[in-house]
Amino acid sequence: MQKKFVIPVPVRYAINTVLIAFFLIAANSMIQGGGLGRAQTAIIIQIGYFIILAVSLNIITGYLGQLPLGHAGFMAVGAYAAAIFWRYHFLPDTANIIAGLIIAGVVAGLFGLLIGIPALRFKGDYLAIITLGFGEIIRVLIVNLDWLTNGARGLQMPRSVRYSSFLVVYICVILTCIFIHVIMKSRHGRAILSIRDNEIAAESCGVNTVYYKVAAFVISAFLAGIAGALYAGNFAVLIPSEFDFMMSINILMIVVLGGLGSMFGSVVAAAVLTYLPFLLVPLAEYRMIIFSLMLILMMIFKPSGLMGSYDFSLSRILEKIINFVISKKGGKNDAKV
Amino acid sequence: MQKSNVLECVGLGIDFGGLTAVNDFNIEIGTTDIYGLIGPNGAGKTTVFNLLTKVYKPTRGSVFVNGVDTKNLNTVKANKLGLARTFQNIRLFQNMTVQENVMVGLHNEIGYNLASAIFRLPSYWRAEKKAKERVCDLLSIFGMQDMIEHKAGSLPYGSQRRLEIVRALATSPKILLLDEPAAGMNPAETDELMKNIQLINEKFKIAVLLIEHDMKLVMGICEKLAVLNYGMLIAKGTPAEIQSNPAVIEAYLGA
Ligand SMILES: Nc1ncnc2c1ncn2[C@@H]1O[C@H](COP(=O)(O)OP(=O)(O)O)[C@@H](O)[C@H]1O
Ligand SMILES: [Mg+2]
Repeated sequence: MQKKFVIPVPVRYAINTVLIAFFLIAANSMIQGGGLGRAQTAIIIQIGYFIILAVSLNIITGYLGQLPLGHAGFMAVGAYAAAIFWRYHFLPDTANIIAGLIIAGVVAGLFGLLIGIPALRFKGDYLAIITLGFGEIIRVLIVNLDWLTNGARGLQMPRSVRYSSFLVVYICVILTCIFIHVIMKSRHGRAILSIRDNEIAAESCGVNTVYYKVAAFVISAFLAGIAGALYAGNFAVLIPSEFDFMMSINILMIVVLGGLGSMFGSVVAAAVLTYLPFLLVPLAEYRMIIFSLMLILMMIFKPSGLMGSYDFSLSRILEKIINFVISKKGGKNDAKV
Repeated sequence: MQKSNVLECVGLGIDFGGLTAVNDFNIEIGTTDIYGLIGPNGAGKTTVFNLLTKVYKPTRGSVFVNGVDTKNLNTVKANKLGLARTFQNIRLFQNMTVQENVMVGLHNEIGYNLASAIFRLPSYWRAEKKAKERVCDLLSIFGMQDMIEHKAGSLPYGSQRRLEIVRALATSPKILLLDEPAAGMNPAETDELMKNIQLINEKFKIAVLLIEHDMKLVMGICEKLAVLNYGMLIAKGTPAEIQSNPAVIEAYLGA
C-alpha cells in the first residue's frame, strides 16, 4: 500500500489563513464600493450573527447532546450588556467595539454559569423546560428593569458609530468557528462528545462530566452573548420582545436543519434560513407554513439534517485530490514495470 | 489492611427498594491477580461492578483501592484511583472513531489545559502526538491498530468488546474490571481473548477481575474465583476447590 500524502499542519494553517483573509478583504471592499445594495448587505450581516447563534447552540445540542430552549436569553443578555456599555462610549471606536463585544460575551457567559450549574443536573425535557423558563425570565426582567434597559420602549443605540459592520461581524464569525473547532479537536472536545455518546462510560474513563457540561454551557452562552451584541449593534433601537421564545426556536431550527453536530451544516442552514424569508416576502403569510413543512420533510427524508455530522475541511479535500493523482501516477508506473 | 491488595471489599451490599441485590460481599484481590467472579444470571455480578465503580452508592460496607477508602468518591475519582471497567451491555462512544474512543480513555493522561488547545501551543501538539502513539500501542494488543479511523459503532461485535478493554486500559488502571468480555464471541475468539487478558495482566502488571457466567471459561486463567448466587457469596477459592464445592454445583444445576 502506498503511503498517504498528508498536508503538514503549518501549510494547512497558512492556506486557511490566506483564504480567510482574501475572503474578508474581497467581500469588504465589494461592500464598501457599493457592489452590494443596502438591503443585501443587511441580510449578509444578519446571516453573520445567526451563524454565531447557531454554531454556539450546536455546542449544546450537537456536541453535548442536550436540548436547551433559552438561547435567545443569552443573546438578550449580551445584546443589552453591549448596548448599555456602548451608550457610555469613552474609548476610541475600534477599542470600544471590541470591549463591548467582550463584555457582552463575559456577562452572557456568567449567566450561562449561573443557569448551567443547576439546570444541567437535569436532562431531556426537564432541561428544555428550565432553559425555556430562563429565557422568558430574562425577557421579563429586561422589560421591567426600566432604569437600566428603558423597558418595553426599547433602548436607543448611539447613532455615531457603525458597530456591526460587515468586517466586525464576519471577523467574529470566523473567530467563533475557529474557536469551536480548536476546542472540539482537543481532549476537551472529545470529553464533551463522549458525554453525548455515553455519560456513564465517560465517567468511567475519568471524564469529569459535570465540569464539561457546565463548560460547554458557558462557552455556548459566551458566544451567544457576542452574537447578541452584534445584533444590538445592527439596530437603532433594541427591543426586548425580539428575544422571545420564537427566537430560541428559530436558532434551534437552524441547528437541526443543518445537522446536529455539524458546524458547517449550521453555517449553511443559517444562511439559507435567514435569506429565505426575503425571497419569500411575497408569500409572507405562508412563511411559517413553509418553514414547518421544510422541517417536517427534513425529519422524514433526512433526519440527520442537511449535512449530517459532516464537517467541511478544505485540506481534507485537497489531500483526497492529491492522493487520487498520486495513486493514478503510481498505477501507471506499476504498469510499466 | 494489607498493602499488597489492590482491591478489598468488606461487607459490601446494596438494596433496590425491598430487593437485596448484593449482600455481605467480601473479596481481597492482590496486585497482579486474575480473579474470576462467577454466578448464574441475575446473581448480582454486574451490580458488584457498579458498586466498585460508584455507579451505585453502596447501602452497606466499604471498598478499598490500594488501602484507600472509596467511601466519598464518585465514578470519576474511582477511575483516577485505578479502577477501570468494561460493560456487559457495550457502552462505547458510538459516533466517535476508534482512535477517539481510546483517546477519551487517555483524557486525564493527556492533560493539557484549555488555553493550550485554543492557541495550539506546543504542549498540545506534543501531548496529542504522544497520545496517538499510545493509542496505536494499546490497540496493537488486539491487532486493531488499522481500525483507528472506523466509527466505534460500525465495528463488529467482538471488536467492540475488545475496544472497550483497550479504552479501559488507556486510563492506566491498577485493576481492570471486565464484565462478560467474551459474551457473543465464538469459541476461537474467546480463546484468543482469554490469552490476551493473561498477556495484559503480565505486560501491564495489573490485576484483573473477570465476570463470567460460564464457569468453564474462567477456570483456565483465573487463580482464584468467587461465586455469587442471589447476591450472596457462596464460595471462594481456587478453580479446583470451586469445581468440587457442593453449594456451587447446586447453584449452577439449580439455575
Ligand atoms: N438499578 C437497579 N434497580 C433495581 N434492580 C436492579 C438494578 N440493578 C440490578 N438490579 C437487580 O439486581 C439483580 C442482579 O443483577 P445483575 O447484577 O445485573 O446480575 P448479573 O450481572 O449477575 O447477571 C437482578 O435481580 C436485577 O434485577
Ligand atoms: Mg451482568
